[in-house]
Amino acid sequence: MKRMIALGFEGSANKIGVGIVTLDGAILSNPRHTYITPPGHGFLPRETAQHHLQHILPLIKSALKTAQITPDEIDCLCYTKGPGMGAPLQVAAVVVRILSQLWKKPIVAVNHCVAHIEMGRVVTGANDPVVLYVSGGNTQVIAYSEGRYRIFGETIDIAVGNCLDRFARVLTLSNDPSPGYNIEQLAKKGVNFVELPYVVKGMDVSFSGILSYMEATAPEKLKNNECTPADLCYSLQETVFAMLVEITERAMAHCDKKDVLIVGGVGCNERLQEMMRTMCSERGGNLFATDDRYCIDNGAMIAYTGLLAYAHGEMTPLEESTFTQRFRTDDVQAVWREDKNSSNMNGKEEGEIQCQ
Amino acid sequence: MDSAISETVDDKTLASQWEFSCDLEVDYESEENASMVYAALAVDKELQPDKVRRKMSVADGKLSVHFEAVEARFLRASFSAFVDVLTLATKTIEEFGPGMEL
Repeated sequence: MKRMIALGFEGSANKIGVGIVTLDGAILSNPRHTYITPPGHGFLPRETAQHHLQHILPLIKSALKTAQITPDEIDCLCYTKGPGMGAPLQVAAVVVRILSQLWKKPIVAVNHCVAHIEMGRVVTGANDPVVLYVSGGNTQVIAYSEGRYRIFGETIDIAVGNCLDRFARVLTLSNDPSPGYNIEQLAKKGVNFVELPYVVKGMDVSFSGILSYMEATAPEKLKNNECTPADLCYSLQETVFAMLVEITERAMAHCDKKDVLIVGGVGCNERLQEMMRTMCSERGGNLFATDDRYCIDNGAMIAYTGLLAYAHGEMTPLEESTFTQRFRTDDVQAVWREDKNSSNMNGKEEGEIQCQ
Repeated sequence: MDSAISETVDDKTLASQWEFSCDLEVDYESEENASMVYAALAVDKELQPDKVRRKMSVADGKLSVHFEAVEARFLRASFSAFVDVLTLATKTIEEFGPGMEL
């Protein structure tokens, strides 16, 4: 039987990535390029789109070369429909529409959040976990129920990664490789805990007030030598991660699930993983997490999720291959998981779904 | 690929409804390529249809685009963004079309 192969494009934020995967989750290639801004600055839609414009075509060549495949062998072309920044999303969408016509291949539109979840599941082998999806643009606690990934808790304002990124700008930390990584390294040197607002509202969290508090008080505190930048990084991490662990635990109790999967860019933070692992073990469950190759936005996660949908008969006509800044995780009917529930009873794994 | 840009700003709105307009023509010398770019770019509608309008057509291997806007700045923004993705679409055909090399 011929293996099914998908080519996937991700460009919803400051990373542009092209990945090639097979249906059993094997990643044949997954190159990406990150738009890194100077310290103290964030990335803006126009400039980010320009970055993607410059790198997308060489990335496709590199992906095909590394995977050692030709366009003929590809079954479908997948792209991020949303959520994300409009102009950067458009870059991947336009290229996919052209390639689809050139190579006569079907298009599959993919939800970015769902792609993170599926990538995390296939890489870690987590079967039916509560998912904490934490990145620069999203913060959600998700669990699968009746055909969809349902959001049990989320941020009511900015994402946790956005809070960390913007705090890094207050300290003018480097954005290379990412602001979050540099906060994490600096936090290891922190000794004094600085009390910060702790904002959990039921199943939800809020980070904008914490960020405002940091922006308003940090410069003064540092000037008066009340604490060090490392203390602030440490205190911010401890506070926001504790909030995330709390709402994740609440969702676990609610859904009666024991395992947790962390996905998204903030998910490669080892301190967050450590705190979550402690909570999981206390509840008799396991933590599943991945490293920066899969946590951070990449093309393979889009390719894999698109291929799951394609193998279950889903396709996006060219005229409908739009992109959208807002696209909720629970808008997607996860058709590939409906099969899984029945095949589960036969003890089958997802990678074994047979296709003609 | 040859392209021609003609910008006209006419207060006497005869043909066009809105004050600011601009035309772009790209000669692909191929009906197939021009239609491919047309199909790829027609999917994305203008974000502010009450301020900017875009009309595209393909004939004789050429892609023609007509822009109309209520203010010059909307015309410029829309035109500039469009040229970026048009260039991307064209480059994609050049690099991944028939006879592509890796």
